[in-house]
Order: sequence, then structure tokens, then C-alpha cells
Amino acid sequence: MNRTKITIEEVKRLAGLSALEFSEEELENFIPEFENIIALVDEVKNCDVGSQELKYTTHKLSECRPDVAKESLPQEEILLNSPKTKKGAFCVPKMLD
Amino acid sequence: MQEYDIVIGLEVHSELKTNAKVFCSCKNQFGQAPNTNCCPVCVGLPGALPVLNQKAVQLVIKAGLTMGCEINDIAVFERKNYFYPDLAKAYQISQLVRPICLGGEIKLKTRTVRLNRIHLEEDAGKLVHSTAAIGTLIDYNRGGVPLMELVTEPDIRSADEAVEFLTKLRQRLIFAGVAECKMEQGGMRCDVNISVKKKGAKEFGERTEMKNLNSFKSVYRAINYEANRQIEVIENGGKIVQETRKWDDNHGKSISMRKKETSSDYRYFPDPDMLAVEISREDVENLKKELPPMPEELKAKYMEEYGLSEYESDILTKEKELSDYFNKTLEKANNPKEVSNWILTEILSKMKDGSEEIKISPNDLAKIIKLVEKKTVTRTNAKEMLTRVWENGEDIDTLVKEYGGGVDETELKKIVENLIKNNPKAVEDYKTSPTPEKVFRWFIGQVMKETRGKANATKAEEFVKEGLK
Amino acid sequence: MNIENLSLIDLKNAIQERKLTSLEVTKFFVEKCEKSDLNAVLEVFDDALEKAKEMDEKIENGFKGKLAGVPVIIKDNILYKGKKASCGSRFLENYTAQYNSTVVQKMLDEGAVIIARANMDEFAMGSSTENSYFGITKNALDPTRVPGGSSGGSASAVAGSLAPVALGTDTGGSIRQPSSYNGVVGIKPTYGRVSRFGVVAFASSIEQVGPITKNVKDNAYMLEVLAGHSEHDETSLKEEVPSYLSSIKGDITGLRVGVMKEVEEAVKGLEVEKSYKNALEFLKKNGATLVDVSIKDFKLSLPCYYIIAPAEATSNLGRFDGVKYSRRSAEAKDVDEIYVKSRSEGFGKEVKRRIMLGNFVLSSGYFDAYYNKAKKLQQKLIEEAKEAFSKCDIIVMPTTAGEPFKIGEKTGDPVSMYKEDLFTIMANILGVPAISIPFGKGKSGLPLGIQIVADRLNEGVIYNVADFIEKKGEEDARV
Repeated sequence: MNRTKITIEEVKRLAGLSALEFSEEELENFIPEFENIIALVDEVKNCDVGSQELKYTTHKLSECRPDVAKESLPQEEILLNSPKTKKGAFCVPKMLD
Repeated sequence: MQEYDIVIGLEVHSELKTNAKVFCSCKNQFGQAPNTNCCPVCVGLPGALPVLNQKAVQLVIKAGLTMGCEINDIAVFERKNYFYPDLAKAYQISQLVRPICLGGEIKLKTRTVRLNRIHLEEDAGKLVHSTAAIGTLIDYNRGGVPLMELVTEPDIRSADEAVEFLTKLRQRLIFAGVAECKMEQGGMRCDVNISVKKKGAKEFGERTEMKNLNSFKSVYRAINYEANRQIEVIENGGKIVQETRKWDDNHGKSISMRKKETSSDYRYFPDPDMLAVEISREDVENLKKELPPMPEELKAKYMEEYGLSEYESDILTKEKELSDYFNKTLEKANNPKEVSNWILTEILSKMKDGSEEIKISPNDLAKIIKLVEKKTVTRTNAKEMLTRVWENGEDIDTLVKEYGGGVDETELKKIVENLIKNNPKAVEDYKTSPTPEKVFRWFIGQVMKETRGKANATKAEEFVKEGLK
Repeated sequence: MNIENLSLIDLKNAIQERKLTSLEVTKFFVEKCEKSDLNAVLEVFDDALEKAKEMDEKIENGFKGKLAGVPVIIKDNILYKGKKASCGSRFLENYTAQYNSTVVQKMLDEGAVIIARANMDEFAMGSSTENSYFGITKNALDPTRVPGGSSGGSASAVAGSLAPVALGTDTGGSIRQPSSYNGVVGIKPTYGRVSRFGVVAFASSIEQVGPITKNVKDNAYMLEVLAGHSEHDETSLKEEVPSYLSSIKGDITGLRVGVMKEVEEAVKGLEVEKSYKNALEFLKKNGATLVDVSIKDFKLSLPCYYIIAPAEATSNLGRFDGVKYSRRSAEAKDVDEIYVKSRSEGFGKEVKRRIMLGNFVLSSGYFDAYYNKAKKLQQKLIEEAKEAFSKCDIIVMPTTAGEPFKIGEKTGDPVSMYKEDLFTIMANILGVPAISIPFGKGKSGLPLGIQIVADRLNEGVIYNVADFIEKKGEEDARV
């Protein structure tokens, strides 16, 4: 079985989706390591699971939570761990629309 | 322009009318101080889990039933993953593979618009872009408010049709009690997908998308602007690029935002924190029973059963509030034509004068209509009574005593004239007596005697005074 | 009374009967935590003694609770309101829990005194507790070796008598493997048996909270407290929680023990082989019947796990974005930089690796080949297990290949570290309960673990067998 190859562009794309950044050096080490892991999960890609449909674990609509509103947490409790707040809101540097 | 077809598809988001949010028990409520309707789920705290509100699902089913959708027997919730500050968990819980509703349609005057689907998802928080010094502020109160997203097939062909579609959709949602669609609060928002093609051409052109239009007027303007822009580009030998454009309502034009990245990869997968929902036929039947008649049905009923004109029926079924009012009044005063007349003339003209709500109960209006019918009060007096209830909130039963003439003004005038003519002595007395008041009272007494107390006392006094001059 | 040698149940009784006070007991364990150099515990809560005192007062006033006055340690990914919960991560270094998890609430309701939080692999990703931002935890029995992971802190703490019980979480073996490595008892309950509300999520569809204790009865007793439906967790099961203690009968006559063909093969040549065989022999000798069963795709449960778990983790960890709580990079100038820099500074190598892997298997073009395929494989495995469990009451297998490995031995090779979990992962993929109890010793005289796996909601059967082995199996366990 051919090993799945991962390109540097691919890794960069994944880093983008992950909101992570890697130094060029980290990237270089990352690729062979990642390919080893992909080789492991490729065992699934290459296995035979027949032609089954995916089933879902379900519950009945009537068992779902009734539409009753309850008290929320106090604002100061919600903002407790926030790195930056203003006027009762979480705050980030100004964004363009 | 006539050589081109405009092809439009809509994605409409409406906030559902529930007490609580869709995945937690915080209030679904507009206009609160920032981050006060929030809990661990709303802010995406570690360890928080979504728990589905059954009402939200029921409302989407109801919406679907009013548009002939097929209801899925199993609805699955998926995560749509992307980073944005208004999205606390970095994913939105939405539906991709098995939405609650599939298919369905809304009939317009010119054509039928097919629906692709209706699904349930959560609204995001609200960003307020302040000054550079303050930055962008994030309020998660709206985060987790239940939203239904309706997606049409690209069946709409003009801005007029788009507005007609939205009007009908909005009507249905309000009638069914699914959503309030308060446009000014962002309760209903619309994304417009639009492309143009040479008339008769089979292939659709490349499309652009305009997001978050929050009034019918801007939908209308945006479509016309964008269609013209696309045609112009093509006429000048250019090509349309698939992209998201921002509609600038102030300047009346659309602006390119960014190329629609092929890499916008949301990595949908079933939310492992949630169970899929089994919707039984029984659930659907029960919800069907709860549905009130839709505007079209009401209109037909008004015309066929009540003999109202199409014009009247149209107006009466345009707003849920008005048709409810009509129906309730009719329960008490069984005269459709009369009730319709009163609403269309008196009530609506009062509303036009700036009143937001109908300030007379259906019960009171019915009473007034019946008083007129029985000739207990004259039409003119009845209108005056209505005004006094509307403006001062006066009690109808007290007013009846005052106006309860049952004697028409002209008739009353005649009675007074006759009285004066037939009682010259009394007229003389009135003019010479040291106590004319006493004589005056005698005349009024005579009027009441003659009308068996039904005369409007104020009017009677007025006429007697005049006759004695 | 020798507090250290008392079982959890004995301690609870002694406190309830006022032979000991909660304060005495709590003080004893708090001091042990403070003196310990295992780095099993990240923080001893400063109000522990105060809470113990309060509990003593309540007990004097008639309070009765299953854990009245008993000290408990929780893993660092379980929220206890007002206390830090860092998940072994730099990202959450200063995160203070804003609400109580269901398991903490249940324990508090029963009178527990939560005294400390235990070290763990960052976000529970790891099998050695070497992936904690707050340093390596040592094995309580041999400080040169790893305690296993990711609940290494919890298992080491119990083995080192820092508390009579500690909570762990198990996503792919994270309770059972460290329990095995430290010679203690740890269960991963049926998926959904214990609510995950307030437990920082790694792989939502397969992980469970469970107790780690020194003996089986204490474990059964603890699970009775933890189990049950929570209105905050749709995936928590509504089935009534039975008395696990009363399912312990001291008899295994007629028990059908499944011997898995695939395990027999996998175990060949491993250090654990002998003690595994001994365990089967022991059960047979004591009235159980051995039945050959097969879960054909057993070995694929490992790669299956390394698709499902990272996929869910990628999404679950998206909320750690630097916007709402904890770390925000000082370098970040705009929102995009807040995301990228806060996360890149805040997460360790293994976490980044799994986030990347998760995005790989979920991203368009790969989704069907990996994620969907893994879900279908999982379904197939469940079918195969159903068949197996129609023939037997339990399946016995090793917990690990052998004794705990040396600190640093596997850090350079993620895949060999992943393969650590071969025997434990199946129970997570199937959603079935599995316990690890000590049985036999390895080459260096360190304990080995044996796993008892049963069908969904059959924790009672597991506890009965585990208790039987614990009481009677000592002789046979000697290799």
C-alpha cells in the first residue's frame, strides 16, 4: 500500500483551519511524523466496512427539553476569565465590518 | 434588460418565537444589557453541553407544514466549524445532512417557488464595532437564539417576486406563531443569490451572494442593482466572478467583499454532544392540528362563506393581528359584511392616523355594531362612541346610556320642532318666566317621554335650546 | 486508626460514626499531597480543611451522605466552581471554573471534600502524563517510570495514598492504563452512564468520567455516586442506576468468560501474556466457563479511534480562541492574531498534532474516506461485539502490554505511544464498560493489569468478577 504523502502546502492549509502557526523548522519535523500517523489511520481508509448506512443514536422529540426559560448567570460571572472586557462585553481589537 | 433572465435564490433566517434559547434555558429576549442572558452554553465555556429545546423543532415543523414540506423522521444536528468572534464555540450547531424539513413550495402570482429545505440552527452573538480605542465589543445574548433557515431553489425571477415571496413567507410564519419576523430587530434576515442569463438559455450564469439584508426594500433594491450590474459587466464583455458582495443601503450599491474562497471548509460533522431527534407521524399530526388557517385559506373563506370582496379579504388577511381581530369580532357580532366595513373604514383609518395597535376590543366593537343593527344608536353616534373608546378608553356600557338614543338626529330634531310648535304657551313661559330653567327641563322631559328615554340627552338639550331661541 | 490503610468505605463509616473526623482525615491526606514529590497533584485547594470542618459540623447535626467528609481528588479537566481547571494546558493556566460539573455537584451533594486537582496529559491527550504543561508526574511505585495517562496524576495519587479516591476521565484508556501502571482499580463506565457536563471535552462521543480507587468495592461505591442522568447532558443515560455494591456476590459460578481470538493473537510474546493466561485459568478453576469469541476488527479500533477522537477534539478545542477566557497572546494585534498566536503559544505539541489530524480527517475531500469510514467501522465493531456478548458475560484481556515504561522512553515516537492503547481503546469505541484491576507482576516486580469488559450497562457483572479476582486471585496472579 502506498503511503499517503503530505505536502507542505497541505500542512499549511491544515494549520490555517486549525488557527495554528508553525515555524519552518517545526513544519519540517512535522511532516514525517504526520505521515506516520496518517499511515496508521489509513488502515481504516483501506478496510472494508460493507455497504451499511450510518445509524444515529436518537431520542424522541417529546423527550426533548421543554421550552422553559430559566435564570442566566450574572454578567460578572460570565466575564470572569475574560482577558479583556468593556461595558459588560468581551472585547477584541476593532474589526472591519 | 429584457434579453436577460434574472435567477434568484433566497436563504431566509428567522428567529423563532420561543421562551428559551435553542440549546440552553436562557431567555430568548431582545434588547437586554450585554451578556446578561448568558450561561456556560452561550459563551462556550469549557465543559458546557447543548440540550435541545423541543419547541424550536416543533416550530420549524409547523413552518414546514404551512409550506407543504416533507418532515424528516430523523433530524440530525451538525457542527459547522469556523472561527469568528461572534461564534463562542468556534462552531455553529446547524443541520446539513438531515434537516427537519425538505422540499415544499410557496405559490406566487406568477409562479411557484420550490423550497430546498428548512433547518434549525443557532444564532450567533452580536458584534458592535466601536472606535479603534475601544475596539469591537461582543455580546452573546443573541447567541443560541433559535433560527430557522429556509433555502429556496433558484426559482425567483425578479425583485418583485422576491418581495412577494418574502411577504408571503413572513405572513405564514407570523400566522403560524412560528416567528415574529421583527425586521428592525434582525428577526428576519435574507441572503440573496443572484445570477443572470440570456433569455431562454439553459445554463445559469455565475452567481453572487449578498448577505444579511434586513428589509424587503433593501432586498428589492439590491436585486435590481446587482442584476443590472451583472448585465452591464456581461454586455461590456466581462465575466461575473462568484463572490460575496456587501449591499450598501446608504449608497444603493453592492460592493465586492472577497472572492468566495474555495477553501472555506466548514468541516461539518454530527455533533457528538447531541442525539438525533426522532420525529413521529403523531408528532407531525399533532402539530398540524395546532396550526391556525393560513392567510390564503382565510381569504377564500372570507370570500366564499362571508361574501366579502377580494379586496376586503386581502386587507383583512394581510396581517395576523387584523384577521384575528376580524374573526374575534365576528364571533360576537355575526355580520361579516358589517364587521368588515367597520374594520376597513373606521379601525384602519384610526390606525393610519398613527395608532400602533387596535385600541378597542373585538368585544366592544361587536357591541357597537349590534347597537347600530338594532338601531339603538345611530351610525353617527356609534362612530363617536368608537372614537371615545379608542381615545379615552371609556366604558362602552356607560356610553350607551349617553348615546343610547336609538333616535336618529334628524328624527330627534323633528320631535323637538313639533314639541315647540305644539306648545306655544310653554314657549312663552320660557321667555317670561323668572325660572326659565324649569320650563327648559319640562321640554327635555317631553322629548324623553316621546322617545321613551332613548334620545341622546346632550343632543336633545342642544336642539331644545336652539328651538327656544 | 491508620487512616492510610482504611478503604474509602471504611473511612466514610468511621467519619459517619464519629470515630474519625473529616478534619483529621482531610488533614492527613492534604499533608500527604503537600509532602508528595510525585507531581501527581497540581494544586491542593486552600479551603479543603475549612470544608472538612464544615462537613464535620453538618455530620454532627445529622447529615448523612455517601461521601460525608471523605476527601476526593479530581482530574484537572473537571470543573469545580471557583477552582482552577487547567487541563494540564498552558492555555487554561489561569482558568477558574465558573460552574460545577455534574460529577462534582453529585459528590458535593453526598458530602465529599474535594481537596486537590490531579495532573494530566494536556487536554487528556496522551498515555504517560508527560504531555502536561505543568511537568511530568511520576509513577507512585517507581519514580523513574511514567504513571500512564492521561489520568496519570489521579492514578498515581491514589496509589501514593494522597486520597482514597480520585476521578479520572477515559477517552481511549486514560483511566484504565494508568490504573494498571500504578496497581490500582479504575473503571471506564458505559458511555453515557456518567454525565460529561462540566468536564472539558476532548472526544465527546467516547469519553467517560470514572473513579480510581485502591479496591473494587470502593470503586463500585463511588460509581453509584457519580452515575445517572443529567438534564444538562443529552448523551447521559436515563436508565436507573443500580446498586453496584449489591451485585458483588463473591461467586462466579456459571460465568461465561469470552476469550477473544484477536486478543490471544495480540498478546503473544508480550510481557503480559503469562498473567493474562493465568487470569483465564483462575476464572475457569473457580467455576467460570471459557467461551471462544471474536471481534474480527478489534485491531482496527486503534486507527478508528485516531480518526474519531482527533476529529471531535479539533472542533471541541476551537473554543479556546483567546477571545472569551484565559490566554490571549500579548503579541496579537488583531483578531486573527489572537486566534493563531494564543493557540500556538497555549497548546503543546501533542495537542497541536491531534488538532491538525482532526482537521485532516474532517476536511473536504477526506471526510468520507476517513471520518465517515471510521464511523461505519465503529458501527461494524459494535455489531461484532453484540455477537460476541451474546455468547459471553464478560471478555477478559490485558490492560497494557506490560509494566509501565520509563519516563522519556516513548516521547519521540507518537505512533508507538498511540499503540500503548491497543487493548483499552476497544471499550471506548464500543461504548461498553471496562475495568482494570491489578493481576500479576511484570519483570521488575511492578503490577500488571487485567481488563474485564462487559456489554453496555453491565457494570454490576464487572464489579462482581473484579471483586472475586481481587479477593481470591492473589495466589494465581503470581507468575
